[in-house]
Parts: sequence; C-alpha cells; structure tokens
Amino acid sequence: MNGVKSESQISEKPFDQGNPDYLVQMLDIHKWFGKVYALRGVDFQVRENEILGLVGDNGAGKSTLIKILSGFHPADRGEIHFEGRRVSIHNPKDAKRLGIETVYQEQALAPHVSISRNIFMGREPTRALGFLDKKRMDAESLDTLSKIGLRLSDPEAVVEALSGGQRQGVAIARVLYFKAKLVILDEPTIALSVKESRQVMEFIKQLKAGGISVVFITHNIYHVHQIAERFVILAHGEKIGDIRKEDTSVDHLSEIITSERVS
Amino acid sequence: MDTVKNAKGGVDFLGYFMRFRSLSVFFVFLLLCIAFTVRSPEYRFISRDNIEVFLALGAEFNIVALAVGMLMICGEFDLSVGSILVFCSFVFLGLFDAGVGVFLAVFLTLGVGTLIGLLHGLITVKTGIPSFITTLGGMLFWRGLTLFWSQGFQRPLDTSQYPLFNESLTGSIAGLIPIQSVWFLGIALVLGFLIHSHKFGNWVFATGDNKQAAKAMGINTDVIKMSCFAIVGLICSFVAIMQIVRVGVFSSRAGDGWELKAIAASVVGGTALTGGTGSIAGVFWGALIISVIENGLVVLRIPYYWTFVIFGVVIISSVIISYLTEQRRLTMGAERDQGASELNSNNRSP
Amino acid sequence: MIRGIRESVHLVGLNRLSTTLPHVGKVVQRIREILLRLLSYKVTFTLIVFIILVLIFGSFTPRHVFMKSNNLGALAKLVPDLGIIAMGVGTLMICGEFDLSVGSIIPMSSFVFVKLLEWDVPLIFIPFATLFTGALLGFLNGLLVVRTRIPSFIATLGTMMFWRGILYASSRMMPIGTRAYLEPGTWLENTLIGSMGGVFPVQILWFLFLAFVLGLVVHFHRFGNWVFATGDNETAARAMGINTGMVKIVCFVIVGLLCSFMSMMQALRIESFAATQGIGFELKAIASSVVGGTSLMGGIGSILGIFLGTLTIQILENGLILMGAPVFGINVFIGLGIVLFAVLNLYIERVAIR
Repeated sequence: MNGVKSESQISEKPFDQGNPDYLVQMLDIHKWFGKVYALRGVDFQVRENEILGLVGDNGAGKSTLIKILSGFHPADRGEIHFEGRRVSIHNPKDAKRLGIETVYQEQALAPHVSISRNIFMGREPTRALGFLDKKRMDAESLDTLSKIGLRLSDPEAVVEALSGGQRQGVAIARVLYFKAKLVILDEPTIALSVKESRQVMEFIKQLKAGGISVVFITHNIYHVHQIAERFVILAHGEKIGDIRKEDTSVDHLSEIITSERVS
Repeated sequence: MDTVKNAKGGVDFLGYFMRFRSLSVFFVFLLLCIAFTVRSPEYRFISRDNIEVFLALGAEFNIVALAVGMLMICGEFDLSVGSILVFCSFVFLGLFDAGVGVFLAVFLTLGVGTLIGLLHGLITVKTGIPSFITTLGGMLFWRGLTLFWSQGFQRPLDTSQYPLFNESLTGSIAGLIPIQSVWFLGIALVLGFLIHSHKFGNWVFATGDNKQAAKAMGINTDVIKMSCFAIVGLICSFVAIMQIVRVGVFSSRAGDGWELKAIAASVVGGTALTGGTGSIAGVFWGALIISVIENGLVVLRIPYYWTFVIFGVVIISSVIISYLTEQRRLTMGAERDQGASELNSNNRSP
Repeated sequence: MIRGIRESVHLVGLNRLSTTLPHVGKVVQRIREILLRLLSYKVTFTLIVFIILVLIFGSFTPRHVFMKSNNLGALAKLVPDLGIIAMGVGTLMICGEFDLSVGSIIPMSSFVFVKLLEWDVPLIFIPFATLFTGALLGFLNGLLVVRTRIPSFIATLGTMMFWRGILYASSRMMPIGTRAYLEPGTWLENTLIGSMGGVFPVQILWFLFLAFVLGLVVHFHRFGNWVFATGDNETAARAMGINTGMVKIVCFVIVGLLCSFMSMMQALRIESFAATQGIGFELKAIASSVVGGTSLMGGIGSILGIFLGTLTIQILENGLILMGAPVFGINVFIGLGIVLFAVLNLYIERVAIR
C-alpha cells in the first residue's frame, strides 16, 4: 500500500479520494457511444465480500458500466478506485491484474475449444518456449471445477457439449482459478432452465464463501433477489436507487424500475 | 441543408462526401470522362464511335453490377456472376441451335439463370456457409461445366431471322443511342424503385443491416436473401443473351473477371461491405466509373494489366474510405453531444 | 449418419454374437466405440475419401499410370507445393480469416527471387530477401484487415488484384529463365529441390518439416490456443486479454512466408519465373483446408487434416488429368468439393456434439 509501485497502468494516490471500506468505487462515470449518452454521471460502489445486484431495464447502462470496470471500454469522464487506491484501467489485462474478472453472457467461452483450454485462455501455463503444459491445465481445471461443485470428468471435452448451466460453471471456475477479488456476472442466468439457474446460484454462493465480491447484473429481479445483499438500480444511464435487501422486496424493486421513481 | 462543420470549424469535405455519396460518385465519373477526353489522342474518347461502344458494351457489365449491388445491400456476395453468365450464354446457344423457338429459348435461359441463383441462395442460407464460399464454388463449377461441354471452342450464333428480337436487344434508338444503355437505365430505375420505395427494399436493407433484428420483426430473411440471389441469376442470364446476340459468337471467356469489377462498382458507389447501406444510384454511377476506366484505358492504349492495379487500388481505397467514414460517424456525434451536455451542465443550478 | 452406421453394425449381428460370448462381446463393444469415435473426427472422412480416390485412380487410369513411379515422382514434387501453401491458408482460416491473395504473393516473391539472381546478389542473401518479401506482403494484408475490420476476403481480393497488376507491369508479362544466372549444383538448389540419394525429393522433407513445426505450434503452443480462441469466439478471446489483432497479423505473415518459400522451390524446379505462377492456388489451398476439416467459420481445424486434404486435392487433380479430363473440368470438382465438404463438416460438427 505504500511506495511499492505496481505495473505501468496503475497510479497511486493518497487516500483523500478513496474510501478503504469499499472494494471498488466508480465516481461520476460518463460515457458516450457516438451520439448515444450511455452513462450520465454514475457513482457505483461495491463492498468487500458482498453480493450486489445491478438491475435496471434494457438500455439502462448496466453492461456499459461494467465493461468500463473490466477494461473493455474507457470511461469518457470519471474515476475508478480499487482497494482504496485510484487506478486506471485501459484494457482487460489491467482489470485482471487488479483482480477484477468478468463472466459475460454468451460470449465468455469458445464453443469448439476444450474445457481446459477455455479456462486458461490467454493465461496458459507453459513449459519451455511457450509450449502448453497440458498436464497442469487438465489437472487444475478439474480441481477448480470441483471447488465450485461442478464435477466433470473430461477436461478435453468441447465446451459446446455441456449444458448451459455447466458452461457458466466453467466460466465461473475460470475466474475463481485466477484469484479474482471481484467477479462480475453479466446476465448469468439468461437462457438457462430453472434447474440450471439454481446451479449457477450455488456456484455464486461458493464464490462468496471464498471471500470474493460478486456483482450480479440482470434484468431478472427474481433471480437476483434470491442471493444479492444490496441492489443498485440504473435507468437511462443514471443511478436511481441503492437499497439493501432488508429494505426492499421483489415487487418494490420492479415498481422502481418500471416507474423510475427514486424512493 | 446545414453546412457540415468539423471539429475545427472548417468545412468538412469528407462529411459532404459521406452525405451525398451518389452525387460525389457522379462527380468522380465526370472528372474521369474529362480526364480521358483530354488525354486521348484527337479526343478519341468522346468520338461518336467510342461513345457508342461504351454505352453498348459497358451497359452489359453495368446491368450485372446493379444486381450484385443489391445483393451486397442485403449482406451477401456473389463471386459467380461471370460463370453464370457464360453458362447461360451456352445454354441459350444450345437451345437455339436445337431449333427451340427464340422466345422459348429466352424464357428457358432466364429460368436457368434464376434457378442457379436460387440454388446459391438456398445453399447459403440453409447451411450457413458464407456466401462467398458458396459462390466461389459456383464460380468454378458453372464455368468448368461450360468449358467441359463446349470443349473450349467458340460457336457462332445466327439470330438474323429474328430482326425484331435483335433490335430490341442490340439496336439503337434514333440510330444514336444504343438500346443496351436504355435497358441499363430501365433496370436501374426498376431496381431503384424496388429498393428505395417498396416494402421489399426495406426488408433488404433490414436484412443486410441487422439480420437478427429483421428476423425478430418477422421478416423472412432467408427468403429475402434467396430472392436477391435469384435476381442476380436472372439478370446474369438476361445479359448473357444480350451479349451473345451482340457478339454473334459464344466465347468461353465471357464474363471473365466480372465478379470483382461488380463488387468494386458497388463499393465505389457507397455500398457497405457489411451490408445494410447503399443505393442503386450509387451502384449506377459506380458501375459507370468502372466501365469508363476500362474503356479509357483502351482508348489511351494503356496495357490491359494496368486495370488490375487500378481495380485493386479502387477496392482497397474504397475499403479504407468506408472505414474512415464509419469512424467519422461515431466520433462526430460524440463531439456534438459533449458540447451540448457541457452547455447543459453549465446551466444547471447547483 | 453415425446412427445409420450404428444400425448397420447391429444388422451384421455383432450384437447377437456379443451376448452369446460375453468375452468377445467386450472386444466388439470396444471396436464399436473406437469406430464411432473415429467417425466423429472429420479427418476420418478425409482419409476415407483419399483412400477411395487412390483406389479409383489406381484402377481406372489407362494402364494404371497413376501408380507408376513417374507419376508418383511428379506427385512428390507437386504435393509439397500445394501443401506448404495450404497449411498457411488453413491456419489463417482457423483464426477466422481468408487470404485470396496467395496467388499473387507467390509470383511476386518469385519475381524478387529471380531478379536478385539476375543482379548477381550473393546467394546467401537471396532466400532471406525473398522470404522477407512474402512476410511483408502478408503483413500488409493483415494490417489492412485488422485495422479496417473489412471482411478479409474482400481486402485480399483487392491486394490480389493490386499486386498482380504491379507484377504484370513490372515484368511486362515476360518469363525469365533462371538457368542463365544460376549454374546447376549450387547449395541453394540442392537444399531446396535436390534429392536424397538421387531419388527422394527434398521438397517432401521440407513439407513434412514445416507441417511438423506448424502442427506443434498450432496444437501444442500457447500461440496456437490463441489462434483457435480468436477464430472460435473473438469477443471472448479479447475479453481474456488475447491480442486478437496481433494473432491475425501473425497468421497473415505466416501465409506470406510460406508462399515465398514455396515460390523459391517452384522457381528453381521449373527453372523460370512466370507471371502466371500461382494463379488458382488460393482456391486449391482453401479446398485442401476445407476437405481437411477446417471450418469456414473459424475455430476448428487441424494441421493433420490440412495435410490429408492437400493429398486428396492434389491426387484428385492429378488423377483427373491422367484420365483425360480437360484441364478446366477439374475446377468443377474443386468447386463441388469445397461446397460438399463444407456442408459435410457442418453436419459432423452438429451431430458429433450428441
């Protein structure tokens, strides 16, 4: 925390703007896509070891906000603080280095590639000269998968052959393996059956048990209400609500979203 | 029409170019004509002979380019147009020689062309194979078949006993304007109307721009694509007949290289390579530019291989311009909005 | 199709046999499993087609000319030419892009090669300069495709035309003989196109060597994983921090390098540069890759498959010529082959998932 400079992209600044109680703080984030004003000064915080639900109707800006945090887009204006320090995140590698991992909707895995190659995509363990350490990949894939409760026998199996719930499991195991501190799940239960959705929620509970913070993005309030501790509501690029679970219900949340009133 | 100002406040030429693509393409065409006229010995370029040749021959290619352009708007490519052309001209010749009456021969040939186009479309939409691969295969297959059956020989075609038929395809109006160019104009108007004013055209644009969205709105994108492929086939067969009647001889090299020129014509005319954007007017002038370049090179006695370089440059620079215009489109809006929102935040009371 | 085979195995009564003699039954069961597993690999079909073609041509060419040593010798020199190109093109297809300009990179490199010979440049520099040409042309292709995000087949169509035009203009379409500038027996010739023990063509060794190296990289190296990831799901690959632009550009450069390497071999073998060298190779290379199981959508393919696919396409061409088919007729089959195998590949992919 003092003096030890990390790698090029991360700058250190004294505590005056960062609040060490929060794991992540995004302050006054603005973003344009051409003429579309996607985020209009959003403040977004996530605590340590918390499951937070980021909700709002389609087009509210949830995915955009999270893509900024995970390095896919730069913010046009605003600051990001991580573990009390101000950071700048220019690309996915920066985010991963901090410990921010994202599991996207349908775009997380390469369908025709094997499970173990998928888990290690971009961060493959190698032996001499960059050749893959397949033994290690296979062994550690199976190990991590079992840690979240997904027992698969063949790490060489192609991801396409798995069910929707299992695929999300692989994506989640991936972030777990790489020691994520914050895991962002973008619509993890979309296109999944009831049983598969429940499976994914069990995986998420395992993440929390491991001390990891989770941001669960969805427009399905029923799913997120089951496991989230706090809810942040976006509409038309602005934050219109930040409520703890004790103070709200599914009906309450959906009322806020549909009528866009701040209570 | 507000002046297009760029971020620095100057007049934005690229912006103008973007907005009025067809007009710009027309100006380029005019420029080329002037340049060729000036540089050709004795102004041979605008001699009556040359203009007739240009309007007659050039029109054949131009008509095919129109159909290819429409297909590109709906998001697909066809690399087999030259091969469909040569195959259909062989079919027509064969039917005619076999004694089938001329009108039946025309009808059947058009049918064959349409069916071939439909086949390409069917394979592409039903199997999910990229269209350029399907039509690549088609390009090899149909020309190969033609060469196989014709043994590579040229065969003459004699339609002199049908003067009206000949006149309608190869004659001239008032002895001046070759009728092929009238056909070109006519087909351009029909397709233009179809694309820009008709429901079908709207579906074509939608399918090319965002297939999923179009499907979600209930548009049968498969049928749209197959129709566009079929139209390409139909038009190729029509031009095949027109060409073989004019030349009087079947040549197995007919249509060679037309696929690339047709794509170049569409790209120059503002059709996006990803589909969803474009106009028949643009393709119209784009095709004329391509034809005029070829014609000009011949008049100026420049060796034919320079056409490769030129078309290559044309395709690549159009590609780069498309990319730049996309970038412009995205950032221009952002600058405008940022300016506006700054104004707003200044006006907001604390 | 796999179900059909399962049923026919049934019909043969092996099942009945397996129930009456349980020991035999286990063996039969294993064989069935292995067969079914094999059939789920596209490469198996390539192999089957290859074997069928060999049998057909072996039997039906006049006087079995196909199998005679002259022909096999000729094949041994033609297959490496196509194969070296196909491997590059196929790898590029795995990462999701196409290169239609190989037919122009080949003669361009050949031209540079022969010109350097003509200008009496020391022999040691020439191969490197030629390879550099290919790499440069490939790099330009890659840059164009990655920066403008235009479909690669259009971009490379454009570069194909452009370079061919430049080549025609620079060479005035005149062929250039190499013998005038290169005495027989130089180390250059012997390394690239000599023969071992006077019989075995070195080209085959080069082909095998390059196939081996590329195979190692694609299937066992970290970079290979990136190639598959980029082709299969580019968004996911980028989200995982893979620089997909760089991966694609490298693949284009590989294509360029292999093209220029092959062009040297070819120029030395036919002892001349001809501006029409290489025309049509792009199609045969794509055909070899598709027949070898490479997916047109990217993300699927294998060097082994491309290897077998090359053999298949080359003997197809060779056999058809020997059987008297007109040269143009061959294109009919190549065109058909591409489409048919593309459909077959898709079918197997969907069915094998079950």
